[in-house]
Amino acid sequence: MKKKLLSIVLCIAMVSTMLIGCGSTATEEAPAEDAAEVVEEAPAEETTETADAEPVEINMFIASPEYADAINQLIAEYQTQFPNVTINYETTQNDYPTLLKAKLNAGECPDIFSSTSGKEIQTYLEYSYNIGSEPISESMSDAVKATMMSGEEVHGFAIKGNYFGVVYNKGIFEELGIEYPQTMSDLEAACEKISAAGYTPFTTGFAEWWVYKHVFQHFLDAAAGEGDVSELVSAFINGEAKMKDYPELYDDFFRFIDLTVKYGDAKPLETDLAAEEAALASGKVAMVCGQGAWIEADVLKINPDLKIGFDGYPVNDNADVCKVISGSDQALRVSKDSKVLTATLDFVNWWYTSDYGKAWFKDTAGVIPPVKEAAAPDFEIIKQGDAHVAAEGAGALAVTYSTDSFHQAFGETMQSYVAGTIDKDETCAQIEQKWVELEGAAQ
Amino acid sequence: MKLGKQKKMALETFLYTLPALLLVALVIYIPFVLSGFYSFTKWNGIAKEPELIGFGNFVKLFSGDKDFVQSLLFTGKYTLFFMIIANVLALELAVILTKKIKTANLLRGFFFIPYIMSMTIVGFIWKFIFSQGFAKLYEMSQLEVLNLSWLGNPDLAFYSIVFVGVWQSVGFYIVLYIAGLQAVPQDVQEAAIVDGANGVQKFFRVILPLLAPSITTCIFMSLTNSLKVFDIILALTKGGPGASTYSVTLNIYREAFQNNNYGYGAAKSLVFFLIILVLTQLVLRGFKSREVEL
Repeated sequence: MKKKLLSIVLCIAMVSTMLIGCGSTATEEAPAEDAAEVVEEAPAEETTETADAEPVEINMFIASPEYADAINQLIAEYQTQFPNVTINYETTQNDYPTLLKAKLNAGECPDIFSSTSGKEIQTYLEYSYNIGSEPISESMSDAVKATMMSGEEVHGFAIKGNYFGVVYNKGIFEELGIEYPQTMSDLEAACEKISAAGYTPFTTGFAEWWVYKHVFQHFLDAAAGEGDVSELVSAFINGEAKMKDYPELYDDFFRFIDLTVKYGDAKPLETDLAAEEAALASGKVAMVCGQGAWIEADVLKINPDLKIGFDGYPVNDNADVCKVISGSDQALRVSKDSKVLTATLDFVNWWYTSDYGKAWFKDTAGVIPPVKEAAAPDFEIIKQGDAHVAAEGAGALAVTYSTDSFHQAFGETMQSYVAGTIDKDETCAQIEQKWVELEGAAQ
Repeated sequence: MKLGKQKKMALETFLYTLPALLLVALVIYIPFVLSGFYSFTKWNGIAKEPELIGFGNFVKLFSGDKDFVQSLLFTGKYTLFFMIIANVLALELAVILTKKIKTANLLRGFFFIPYIMSMTIVGFIWKFIFSQGFAKLYEMSQLEVLNLSWLGNPDLAFYSIVFVGVWQSVGFYIVLYIAGLQAVPQDVQEAAIVDGANGVQKFFRVILPLLAPSITTCIFMSLTNSLKVFDIILALTKGGPGASTYSVTLNIYREAFQNNNYGYGAAKSLVFFLIILVLTQLVLRGFKSREVEL
């Protein structure tokens, strides 16, 4: 009898603790909303000075895990200068968008979060704060800022600028006595020579869906010619443009892909980023598809003696359109509804304007600074990229005009093409259809 | 305050199951009902207010979604291959492992180990074996079969996935079959031998019919598990190459979380739920009716 009584009591205890547990989170939400309102009034009175103030906590949940160490150092430095600020930094290796959505729907928008730049700036617009009138916006370089705009408003900033183009092994080209090809026919000739000499001309990375978008944007830039690439992409999204009308897309792009498959890895659809890096570092491969500034450090770690070259994609027989692309494809955003908006803005302004913050990009993170007048780190790709931009200008970062939903479908369609399951016309038809289907709906 | 004994029992049962029930409701039933609601909305998973559009999502789905049909076909093909191979293989191995082999216990352990590993890890291990491992083995042995692009060729990728799926879970079905085999009474088997049945006859005429309950369980489990296949594909091929290995679950996941069509994804998942429900009930009925009692 006693035992039964005990068990019933236990049972009730368990249930009630659960209910209490649920209940308390429910009640916590209410004051939180109040607090948000209170703070929104606060910025008017104390705009810059939050030091000496009460302790504040900034929640930062961003992608780009490769810079976790550098960002931790940045935060540590900030916290020694402003001891009242605690920054909870969180990052994730993959599936960032899904995790972010879970947080947003749970009503816990991080104070600093990330998205891709360009089109996705719109997708998260109702959560992000317009930093256009903040010092950070003044300091941001123009190429980066261009991808963060929503109309006149600035809705993001970047951890780094970036360079996209062909990374190549200068040693092989020098040994064979050929220049890096600027036109498609030169490229074909170069491939023949390289493979005759026993090297593999290309490593493709075609197992990764995002490699295709990096290659494709150079051809899109060329197709747009003097016009605006964003308008060309919008025309595709509205179903008004056809691949066939643009020889740069219909002929040259596929000519390039065919060439990379012919002169590329033995198993192109199993080659991923790591395999590409290993192939380049091995010194047996001449050119790398679909990559950019981010692979240099990793490749040099495997083979420090490699002589790296960097240039644009040969598109057709016009050497002028062979350009590198610069800009930033990732955006960090400040939450509009942040409870600690002032403290968050202070932090990001400090990041972009203080001496430590400006030097951080080169010294700690080793990336192309997304700010004006900051020294660039000592990497070949960045130096050569800078030189190319100075000499021939940079292409527009066309990848940002479509979202990754489209790019993933685009990559998969291209994989089918590489695998030989669909032909060129079917591939073009599917790409046109996906553009309308996936991007038309997102608007 | 005197409760009747039955009432008290009922109350006790209710109270005991309540904590579990609440948790299950919280993570399964409530989200299920909510996704039912979302399937009637146009929502990208980000906007603060989903927009109600009635049956729009279902109309779109039934008026022909090529990718969804494609993934249904893939899942069907996978289910068929997985069920047959996993069950036949597990039954064979179970029969061998119930024989008096010295290392039987050890072997049972070996077969079971992959099952305790998480699917994602198994996927990554095999991805490594298929790419780097096979390349090295090919260098050493020059066997052409190792030089095939097992994950890069749309047709081969399917068999790679089936193989890894079976490899991972066959241990589980072996355990179920071993339990069933051990429950087959010795006297019936001896009687069959006395009646002059040879080994094959004994197996197909006596043991197999008596094993029917185990078979039903295993078929049911393998059916539901293979219909819901997800993580192994995500780890091995991510649906590639060229969208050739999309299962329905992966298709739904991508629709909802990557294409930002949360409402449409929810509608797809409801339809898929109904498909699973009907299919499993049919198969279960079919196999139950064939079971024999001693």
